[in-house]
Amino acid sequence: MKGTLKLGITLALFAVGACASLAVVYTVTKPQIEAQDQLALEASLRDLFPEGEEFEDISASISSANDAVRISSAFLAKRGGAPLGLAVKAAGPSYGGQAVLLVGVELNRSIAGVRILELNDTAGLGANAKNPGYYVDKANKVTFPGQFAGKFITDPFVVKSDVVAITASTITSTSLTTIVKAAAEAGALWLENSALAPPADQNSAASYSGSAASESAPEATGGN
Amino acid sequence: MKSLWKTFKQGIIYENPLLMLMIGLCSALAVTSSVANGLGMGLAMTFVLLFSEIVISIFRKVIPNSVRIPIFIIIIAAFTTMVDLVMKAYFPDLSKSMGVFIPLIVVNCIIMGRVEAFASKQGVLPAIFDSLGMGLGYTWVMVAISAVRELLGNGSVAGIPLMPASFQPILFFILPPGGFLVFGLFISFNIWLKGRMDKTAKERA
Repeated sequence: MKGTLKLGITLALFAVGACASLAVVYTVTKPQIEAQDQLALEASLRDLFPEGEEFEDISASISSANDAVRISSAFLAKRGGAPLGLAVKAAGPSYGGQAVLLVGVELNRSIAGVRILELNDTAGLGANAKNPGYYVDKANKVTFPGQFAGKFITDPFVVKSDVVAITASTITSTSLTTIVKAAAEAGALWLENSALAPPADQNSAASYSGSAASESAPEATGGN
Repeated sequence: MKSLWKTFKQGIIYENPLLMLMIGLCSALAVTSSVANGLGMGLAMTFVLLFSEIVISIFRKVIPNSVRIPIFIIIIAAFTTMVDLVMKAYFPDLSKSMGVFIPLIVVNCIIMGRVEAFASKQGVLPAIFDSLGMGLGYTWVMVAISAVRELLGNGSVAGIPLMPASFQPILFFILPPGGFLVFGLFISFNIWLKGRMDKTAKERA
């Protein structure tokens, strides 16, 4: 009995020591990790909307209609108070686990651009999606995420029809396309509900009324 | 001093953890698809091994024999988590590409094996040399395997394209079967090298 107690206490002491040192490292690195995440996100936001001056966090009022795709955050890019477009950060399953994309949606409901933030698919195959030197259209130097720029959300988004797949990586291509489509649809719906993008297309930022940011969440996608 | 040097040398060829002791193989096959990953994994593993061996060697007299394994795991897990946090904070790109393999250092048998077989029985100084030797032995094999796989499977080494533009990458080498093949060839190379070294040592004697 006494021996067992001694063993338990020794084990507990080691655990306490390990926890204490971990706590120190965690406290020291936490602000740095958050700063890195923020930096990476801001860099991609600026990359999508180079004109953007400020990015308003609208994560609370947007949701995805596709159960497999989760929208972790979204930002409204603005220049001088006028909205430019929406950047939606969405995560969904791909071949090697979770993939995280940042999808930019213009006010006319076309895609401003797609950036891959996280992808763990096979190197040399699916990972070519984030390789800036891998072109699905070699003649025009268009990368896999690059081909989505300028597409309208009304397009079919079908791999091997209007989306060019990555060689030997159909699963990656299909998964990423699904995430892009879901994120773009959620973004477009948010813009519509916020009256930033009226149903008819070809709108310029000039028609922005100014009251939109306080609009409530889109009802159509919530609940279920 | 001479015996310390010998301890250090053991891990590189004679008792190379991957090629001779054949432990910790899953990470060697999984992350060696690019040189950056192989090197990062090797250094992270060496760091955890070094500090775990030091701490366990210091406390070896107060660790009761019957609960030594849980204590080893607590110590190894603590250092692994520290590496994970530090990498996330200061090397975010590397941390992203290593993904799940950093947390898995906890269950890497090389660390468990060396701590159990060496650090829990030896003083701090030999333990430091053992961990550095083993770490270097692990790292060079990781870098060498990943260099071969990246060159043949992607046409580059450490991200620098080396093959002519007409070279069509052999995807096989990036995929798991290619990893097994390259790894097997390295094992046979190491056995050949060891045989040669034994022979020259005998001739010299």
